[in-house]
Amino acid sequence: MSEENNEAIMLNKLVHDARAPLNRISMNAELIKLVLENDMPKQKALEALDKIILNCQQCSESLQNITEHNNG
Amino acid sequence: MLNILLVDDDVEFSDVVCHIVEFLGHNINTATSLKEAHQWFENNTFDHVLLDFMLPDGSGLHLLDHLKMIGQSPKITLISGHPSVKGILAEMCEPNVGHLLKPLQREDLELVLNGPKKTAKKVKPSGITCHFGSLIGESEPMQKLYTMIERVAKTNANVMLMGESGAGKEVVAQAIHNASQCEGPLVASNCGALSKELIGSELFGHEKGAFTGAIARKEGVFEQSNDGTLFLDEVTEMPIDMQPNLLRVLETKKVTRVGGNKEIPTNCRVISATNRSLIDLAQNNVIREDIYFRLAVFPIDIPPLRDRKEDIPLLAKAFLEQLNDENGTSFSWKSEQLKELQNYEWPGNVREIRHAIHRAFIMSDPQSSEITLPDNLESPFSRVNNKTAEKQVSAGQTIEEVEKELIHATLDKVQGNKTLAAQMLGISTKTLYNRLNAYGGIGEYK
Repeated sequence: MSEENNEAIMLNKLVHDARAPLNRISMNAELIKLVLENDMPKQKALEALDKIILNCQQCSESLQNITEHNNG
Repeated sequence: MLNILLVDDDVEFSDVVCHIVEFLGHNINTATSLKEAHQWFENNTFDHVLLDFMLPDGSGLHLLDHLKMIGQSPKITLISGHPSVKGILAEMCEPNVGHLLKPLQREDLELVLNGPKKTAKKVKPSGITCHFGSLIGESEPMQKLYTMIERVAKTNANVMLMGESGAGKEVVAQAIHNASQCEGPLVASNCGALSKELIGSELFGHEKGAFTGAIARKEGVFEQSNDGTLFLDEVTEMPIDMQPNLLRVLETKKVTRVGGNKEIPTNCRVISATNRSLIDLAQNNVIREDIYFRLAVFPIDIPPLRDRKEDIPLLAKAFLEQLNDENGTSFSWKSEQLKELQNYEWPGNVREIRHAIHRAFIMSDPQSSEITLPDNLESPFSRVNNKTAEKQVSAGQTIEEVEKELIHATLDKVQGNKTLAAQMLGISTKTLYNRLNAYGGIGEYK
């Protein structure tokens, strides 16, 4: 496999890693909307908010990895 | 309700999707790999599979092959983070395979699971006027109320709202606030819900370290509602020994935080509320007279719902319209249902009718546009309240009326047994018969 191909695969993997927390953030935000719209226990919303915060950090790390990969 | 299998190795994502899908009214199971998905299909069938494209032990497409092999054909939605997957699927020409792109949204899930939303029939705008942005009703008592709100809104007088529980005191407070067009916010506080120790801090705020647990400085509700409106609900439930502090703030328009020594000027209209009657206030010493005159510069009586029954259809339509908007449904009332609502006394007032409509809304078949009212509109509270209300004696009743009521209540209690009723009433059976004859009501208890 050429080095170019390896490079593309690696980049795809890094992008996949960054997209995963974004996906969790999106779903947790949808869950919070449901909780608020339907008067559900606020604990669920708080848990989802914590997860969003955590996933924002993960996403940031993944983006940093992409930058480092590009620079390296 | 669909039986759904979600195949995704991201456990946290799966967990949230489960919550959402269950809320949408479906059953959902999860698998984190192709192997687990195969196991689920050994003993189960599913209507729909939400399938991640990249799994730890292979591609999601392998599951499609496996399903063909075992002769199952659930609807499949492949979930991937790459738009190119859509192209691959198009080439496969599989009619029951769809595609969703990450990050997902709830609408995406709703669309693939429930199909395109039925366009709810646009109910004609009902044309119900919402007075002052919060009040509904065109009856005479409400028109009087609107006039009073309009008048008092132009002044900065303190208002005391009196009315039965559920009559809408907080909504009227909101209406006055809206009509006042003041700059500050409406801040509400329930004096009945606060302990004696905390009420000072809630109303006037506290300085850091004022008492154990006062870890930071806190603004009280008087400060928070500066240039706005302060709504003090259940003001008559405030401990009487705290009332002089409130009086001082009302008189001086200055507040001193607990543990502080600086006087902070406040400028807010105080709207207080109580569900006690004026006579109750006067007789039971629940509020100091000086405070009453400060708070009730402009007292407003909110009419109970039974005194404005003509507003019931308007309220019912407005509440149902709101529920339809929130839930994308298109339920509507039949005229006989509105009459049924109008015939009931609603001792719990607007709060009770709102609750009853919400309950009926939940119970109704979402596939139909007809709302189903329960056989009995009474809530457990209204039943108890009704009974107590029946037993209440009020000034203006004649002794004969009260006696008649007591005799009937006793007879009801003993299922019409006159000997027993006479014993309970402390009169002879003959006297009881005489009384019943005089009321002309003996037939009921024969």
